[in-house]
Amino acid sequence: MRRVFVLSFALAFTVAASSSLLAARSPNKKEEGTTTVASNTNADTMRALGEQRFRANCGRCHAAPQKFPPRAMSTVLRHMRVRATITGEDMRLVLFYTTQ
Amino acid sequence: MRFVFTNVGGRRWRRKILLRLVCALLLQIFAPARMHSQSADAERPVPILSGNAGFLTSVTAGQTLLDTQLNPVLLVPVGDRWLIESRGEFEGEFQRAPSGSFAGPVNKHLDYLQADYIANSYVTITAGRFLTPFGIFNERLYPEWIRTLQPDPLILPIGTASSDGAMLRGGFAVNSHANVNYAAYVSATSIGVNGVESERQVGGRAGMFFPGPRLEVGASWQKALQDDRKNAFGFHLAWQTRALPLSVHSEFARANQGSGYWIEGAYRLSQINAWNRVMRRTEVVGRMQQFFNGAIGPDEAASLGLPTANTREADFGVNYFLKDGLKAVGSYGRQLSSAGNLNQWAVGIVYRFLIPLGRGDSR
Repeated sequence: MRRVFVLSFALAFTVAASSSLLAARSPNKKEEGTTTVASNTNADTMRALGEQRFRANCGRCHAAPQKFPPRAMSTVLRHMRVRATITGEDMRLVLFYTTQ
Repeated sequence: MRFVFTNVGGRRWRRKILLRLVCALLLQIFAPARMHSQSADAERPVPILSGNAGFLTSVTAGQTLLDTQLNPVLLVPVGDRWLIESRGEFEGEFQRAPSGSFAGPVNKHLDYLQADYIANSYVTITAGRFLTPFGIFNERLYPEWIRTLQPDPLILPIGTASSDGAMLRGGFAVNSHANVNYAAYVSATSIGVNGVESERQVGGRAGMFFPGPRLEVGASWQKALQDDRKNAFGFHLAWQTRALPLSVHSEFARANQGSGYWIEGAYRLSQINAWNRVMRRTEVVGRMQQFFNGAIGPDEAASLGLPTANTREADFGVNYFLKDGLKAVGSYGRQLSSAGNLNQWAVGIVYRFLIPLGRGDSR
């Protein structure tokens, strides 16, 4: 019983640490990528990308809701990021699609 | 004496190294929080109160039940990385008493109350009371405004009671054709406080999503660390076809309490040209499911909400979306079981609400 606990904790800790290390290794790349998406694409492209990500992530369970105020939608998407395990970039694109 | 002294020194040294290692790892986990400390003011999240309310009338084997549900969801974002979220359930189940009037209990319990820390793009750490990630129905499809058929699948009680403990979850893209999502959790025994009970268990779920065909497949596992220490496992599938507005979901679960599966298809009639304004708001649904008895007796099965005998069931339903967040639902199901066959009718209305607890816009 104790071994299972220790093993599961060790496994969980390793996953968290390794993924964190992975993320820390290329933060600038991600930032650059996000900035590039934001600066080089126009609103239509971002909306189209956002719709695509919405259909892929959110559409598996429910239809698109009406447009809510951006700050309320931002909270909903943080909740969905946890619940539906969507990535940060997908969250930003879906936020753009659902609010703009 | 000298040896003992050296041994104690060695232990201290090892403890110091271990402590530093743990500190370094914790710093690695929490450090990325500083990277995105400035979020755009226009998108700074505000607390919201969301959820759904529903009123259903069902007739099962001739017995009428008025079911009123309220499921408030409170979301409180804190800083750039934290979210405190909670969902409660208030359900009134009223049946006709011999006197002629409807009466019954009002059940209330806490589905989840959890703190989430989004450590980075790949990991979220959750602590508190959370929905157990076993299969997909419990976590993703359970709310009345999301589910396409109001009756629960027969196997829903298997492995899905809420957990009190900690969880790691997240997702990442393997390549442009496949994404992986995962959840791993540990739960402690919690008894004595009505409405927040949980069992001592560990488990996890992993899924793979293919954006091309819009197909997700995955598996779940759970091991109880108390009583008979049994294992439970399950598989799930979600598929949204590209050619048709058809959404397919399916689950299989096997545990000590029983096993079974369900498969469900929901088709939006938006492609039908006649009466298009009505048709695009209409959805027809069909579900087939089967349950097989496990190693527990009928009384225990009934107390868990499972069928007491081998059961087959077919359900058909129609949903009409009156406006965003408001839908009328209706369904018919036929249950075939060695304990007795029965019909199930249900009609009702479901509403989803969202109220920002602060300024929702950026002005």
